[in-house]
Amino acid sequence: MKLLLVEDDRELRVTLREALAVEGYDVLTAASLADARAQLAHAGPIDAVLLDLGLPDGDGEELLQALRRERSTPLIVISARQVEGQKIRLLDAGADDYLVKPFGIGELLARLRVALRHRGTVAQPALTLYRRAGLEVDLAAHRVKRDGADVRLTPTEFKLLARLVRQAGQVVTHRRLLADVWGPDDTEQTHYLRLYMAQLRAKLEADPAEPRVLLTEPGVGYRIAEPG
Amino acid sequence: MPLRTVTPFLPWIAIGSLTGLAWAGWRLRGAWASLRAAQRAAQLERAQREFGDLMRDAERPEAHAHELLKALESLAGLPVAAVLRPSAGEQELVFGEPDANALAGLKLCADCGRALGPGTDHHAGEPDLYLPLRGRDAALGAVTLRGIGTEALAPDQFAHAQALCDQMGLALQRRRVQDEARQAGELAQVQSTRNAMLAAISHDYRTPLATIMGSASSLQTQGERLTPAQRKELADRIVDETARLTRLTDNTLQLARLGAPGVAALRCDWESAEEIVGAALRRVRRRPDGERVKARIDPELPLLWCDAALMSQLLDNLVDNALKYSPAEATVELVVRRVGEEALFAVRDRGPGIDPAWRERVFDAFQRGDLAAFAQRPSGAGVGLAVCRAIAEAQGGVLSLRPRGHGGCSFEFRLPLRAAPELPEAPI
Repeated sequence: MKLLLVEDDRELRVTLREALAVEGYDVLTAASLADARAQLAHAGPIDAVLLDLGLPDGDGEELLQALRRERSTPLIVISARQVEGQKIRLLDAGADDYLVKPFGIGELLARLRVALRHRGTVAQPALTLYRRAGLEVDLAAHRVKRDGADVRLTPTEFKLLARLVRQAGQVVTHRRLLADVWGPDDTEQTHYLRLYMAQLRAKLEADPAEPRVLLTEPGVGYRIAEPG
Repeated sequence: MPLRTVTPFLPWIAIGSLTGLAWAGWRLRGAWASLRAAQRAAQLERAQREFGDLMRDAERPEAHAHELLKALESLAGLPVAAVLRPSAGEQELVFGEPDANALAGLKLCADCGRALGPGTDHHAGEPDLYLPLRGRDAALGAVTLRGIGTEALAPDQFAHAQALCDQMGLALQRRRVQDEARQAGELAQVQSTRNAMLAAISHDYRTPLATIMGSASSLQTQGERLTPAQRKELADRIVDETARLTRLTDNTLQLARLGAPGVAALRCDWESAEEIVGAALRRVRRRPDGERVKARIDPELPLLWCDAALMSQLLDNLVDNALKYSPAEATVELVVRRVGEEALFAVRDRGPGIDPAWRERVFDAFQRGDLAAFAQRPSGAGVGLAVCRAIAEAQGGVLSLRPRGHGGCSFEFRLPLRAAPELPEAPI
């Protein structure tokens, strides 16, 4: 697995590179936008990109846009900027995930695993059978079970659940969920989401007040927990 | 006193030189004229003194512009207009009804600080006379006597008019100086509060930094002599204290953002209390003591209009404080329910409670700029509670502290409810 790590701070770059190398990743590094562009153009196939935003010669966001015009290489933003609006914009622009500095290596590895699992699978779901905490979602058969018993979902509930499962482990923004489930005219109706997520949790979670599967990312979107 | 009462004396001289009677008459007239002149001078002087007194005591001299205009109008029998510049940055104040031409003249006169128009050395051919309101080193406005033409003021009247104008100018200047002194004082106050806040922030940063430094340097210098369990404990402590520093940084930034002038951009939306609390619980459960938190949410709560990220920060801070400052085994309750037209979020602990004298101050102890008081503040009264209150108020809510019956605190956030939006036709 070959990764490109774009980070201008030397200490953090070295720390992350070593930690990732211990996990068996082959890590290329870049300290600027120009550096990163050169690596992407000449280093052959790259499996995933870790991208810092504040780079000395520009904003990492430019690289995300340029990359997304050509390929669907998984990309995780690592940024010191804790701004919900920006997080949403980058996720909508095609970032697979957004980690705010400082983060633990465990968290980075988990997000990276998820992003790599979804790589190249924009059209086709990475998995059609989702299992976690007694919940089983079979996308192909349109069937949902909890602790082995069939659960009846309305068509909208199923569409919403299926959309989250397609990106299991990754946050899906409100706007994206609304566009994909209700249509492009309803992207502002976040209260629909609140209602349907509450219904889904009531049917699928052991304790809807403390969900383990259908997780909320406050102000950003929802995430269905990684399968397993 | 109208200008045109100036008596033409010359004919009397001619007649008076012919006869003794006329001579006596002339003497009489002369005396009469000197008397009149003395009277007029006294009158002008009195008027000046009175206006001077008024200006001396005036807190806002510009409020007396109409008195100045009236005095000049009765002196010249002409319409008067004025421009005043009471403070350096602000807009000019215009009095009377100057047309565009007169306004330009007033500005020019105020800018150059010299009298312009008939009877002066500048623009003597103009029909209007312009007099500057002179302060100590610059003019702070000007007046114009409209259409005075060739019948310029008599020298004593001219001097009188200029003296009145200068009294206004000096008063305006005095006010400017006072304003500037007050602003400088306020700025110094802000500066000293900010310095105290910076001192308080760095104090709060030092505690976790000290733990990190201690643990990391122990690993660095004693690493080989430590057992694996000891090494893990030190590493865990570094991670925990880094998380604490991160929260402190987030809080400091948020406080700066919400405290900045202008309305901070909130990202309000229809949010579910259950989801906000669910996400907060998920975060707190990662802590070793996170299981102590018990949540109860009223299932009938409607959707809330609020900023989910801010709400998360508010709950995280309150729960963190409650866990940190209460006994290791005690439960921390997180309760959300409807009270009238408000949603009530309460975080309740069984800690030592807070002294009544501090119940209100605990939210701004950090911002007071009083370092002695800051050193004696109750536990937890740092940037965390200050940002909680700022978050509560930014969303139109209220954060308060209530002592609990059998010891401990209840931090309570009340958020006004709004009429919830229409939902799609269910079930779909």
